[in-house]
Amino acid sequence: MTRAAIRWSRPLRAALLVGVVVVAACSSGEGATVQAITARGADTGPQGRVPQFKVECGWSHSASDDPIVHPGKPGRAHLHDFFGSTATDAGSTPSSLLDTETTCQNRNDTAAYWAPAVLRDGEPVEPTGSVAYYRPGPGVDPASVAPFPAGLLVIAGDQTATEPQSVDVAAWHCGASPILHSDPPSCPDTAPLGVRVAFPDCWDGERLDSEDHQSHMAYSDDGACPDDHPVAVPQLVFEVRYPVTGEPTGLALASGGVRSMHADFVQAWDQAALEREVRTCINGGKVCGVVSNRATG
Amino acid sequence: MTRTAHRTLAVLLALGLFAAACGDDDTTDTSPTTEAPAGGEDEGNGEGGGEGDGEAATHRVPGDFDTIQAAVDAAAPGDLVLIEPGTYEEAVDVTIEDLTIRGLDRNEVVLDGGFELENGIRVLADGVAVENMTAQNYTTNGFFWTGVTGYRGSYLTAYRNGDYGVYAFDSVKGQLEHIYASGSPDAGVYIGQCYPCETVITDVISEYNGLGYSGTNSGGDLLIVNSTWRFNRAGIVPNSGSYELCYPGRETTIVGNTVHGNSQPDTPAIDVALLAMGNGILVAGSNRNVIERNLVFDHERTGIGLVPFPEEEANDVVPPEEDWDRPCEETRNDPLPDLDPEALALVLWDPVGNSITGNVVSGSGLGDLALGSLQPDLASLRNCFSGNTFETTAPEQLEALAPCEGDPTATDWSAGALDLGALIASERPPAVDYEEAPTPEPADQPTMPDAETAPAQPATNVPFSVDLAAIEVPERPEGT
Repeated sequence: MTRAAIRWSRPLRAALLVGVVVVAACSSGEGATVQAITARGADTGPQGRVPQFKVECGWSHSASDDPIVHPGKPGRAHLHDFFGSTATDAGSTPSSLLDTETTCQNRNDTAAYWAPAVLRDGEPVEPTGSVAYYRPGPGVDPASVAPFPAGLLVIAGDQTATEPQSVDVAAWHCGASPILHSDPPSCPDTAPLGVRVAFPDCWDGERLDSEDHQSHMAYSDDGACPDDHPVAVPQLVFEVRYPVTGEPTGLALASGGVRSMHADFVQAWDQAALEREVRTCINGGKVCGVVSNRATG
Repeated sequence: MTRTAHRTLAVLLALGLFAAACGDDDTTDTSPTTEAPAGGEDEGNGEGGGEGDGEAATHRVPGDFDTIQAAVDAAAPGDLVLIEPGTYEEAVDVTIEDLTIRGLDRNEVVLDGGFELENGIRVLADGVAVENMTAQNYTTNGFFWTGVTGYRGSYLTAYRNGDYGVYAFDSVKGQLEHIYASGSPDAGVYIGQCYPCETVITDVISEYNGLGYSGTNSGGDLLIVNSTWRFNRAGIVPNSGSYELCYPGRETTIVGNTVHGNSQPDTPAIDVALLAMGNGILVAGSNRNVIERNLVFDHERTGIGLVPFPEEEANDVVPPEEDWDRPCEETRNDPLPDLDPEALALVLWDPVGNSITGNVVSGSGLGDLALGSLQPDLASLRNCFSGNTFETTAPEQLEALAPCEGDPTATDWSAGALDLGALIASERPPAVDYEEAPTPEPADQPTMPDAETAPAQPATNVPFSVDLAAIEVPERPEGT
């Protein structure tokens, strides 16, 4: 698959970023000193171009817990929405999650996925569901992708951000749209509001976690993993959908403003099942499932 | 929905899209291909399809292996996996080419996902035939082929699965025959993302699904013949969308089908199945389809309807018509165009160049034959209607307005026009969860002849040929 051909050239992307910037209209109430970004994602577009598998997981529960950043300290974090394992709490570890109940369509996926709660006028919005896509990172050779090691902990996005993050890492969008936004857009009924967080796809090959919970992972660049993080793993793209359409007024995240989007992943799959999916779908070059706007009614 | 329709209209007006022409005026070659590879008999493929020593081995479950997966994993290309009656709680992946996987009794060999497992059988290798078994209660699909060349499903029952009953994606050269599919919220039978698909769907009964048949971005030597599509929310729905590749859908040939009662209010249903509800054959933004000699009756909305599919927040715009002849192999590598997000906010897939002839249609609430678009010049879409037996059309005199041969003998497209706004906005009974829907247990289905003794026949010789010219309009079934 000639992945390179479908990637946006850097000048084009830069032009898009400049040319398509919309007026800053930060609805979170925080000082919107930097203009909002609206751009096509570097790696968005019709599914079917690259191998993938996907797991659809319902919302499980919400709690002010964070077993990666505040392990063993219930109530210490901002409010999170949890997906996947229904057992996730502040004391969860990868091994404690194995074999637990899960909200995922694939019951072998007992991992924990979470993101900050979306607030509207200060009240949490209950998500309608989530999708975890597992793909090669942009331009990465699918045959080179290794499964996530059991017990890996990963964080993506910057929960302290008040200025736009790269929309290729953390963004808002409508339905299955390829257009990504640093601030929530107005979405139609057929494609409600969602968030999308792309996790790092290169691992240092040694550590399952690190002091800052990030430095054991890195993003690939131009289809290659850096020397200090040489192991290509799937790029997890985690999307959460919300029953929010129309003008996105009064929105914020439990972590702060609308630009503080991030997500967390505790890898607690049935390891053999995860390895089978990676081998069969990603290494095998197959599209093992697609997600459309055509939500189950 | 009303608000969406209004917004749709407003956007179109603003963009001045009403003036958009639909490309050049060449007559579309809609004559279906009948020369599929001659077949039915194996061409030596039944005997050791691999490059090894010859003899195809037979692997019995549970005789030789405890599980279907273990037997499949141990097989070599060309081999036969033979499954004894029993219930198998497995999700089987097939990654070895040219296997034949066969149940000894279609009704007694049951793969059961228990609402826990994803796919009954997922095939990721070329040339694999799956025969004579049932898959039920899977969270996604009963039988699923993806990314393969050569596939066959014969004598399969798919009951109460969470997405599709029988599903082929990004796959070509296929045969789906003697299928019974019920109780899925999306389609009983689905073909997605292929052009040309080179696939035959025949002798299917699909009922109590969201959609009887759905095909997104599929077509090209894709035949749907001699099958029954009834009691779904909607019957046969070829469609288009840019969230996956190979758009638009085009060139599906639909002949000799019995399509009735697709207004079923209590099935599982995805959103588009609700939207499509009450229609027999609904061409939703698909093109150049040939719909001929079908029997279609008893639908709340249209019998055979051609309508646009408005896709909001699309990934791409409609490709120019000159690109519709290009195979998917080629277009899938096209770079994504440099598009303004505004252009993607609403993409309208119109039905273009469809041919509707010799069908017998009755008992439709809004029109036995119907054509609608948000674009005012319906004639420019070059759909045609001739030689059908019907009572009502929308707009009135549709066969005179848009004949397949000769000049139109009527010009007033406004009288009795299909009211798309009303069509979209009207109420639908809500979807029912697939696990809970009152989908009838399938009656015993015809089982494959000689399942015990027939040699392996991998899907290396499909599709089988179809004599389209010999197909007549079906007789109305007794009691309907």
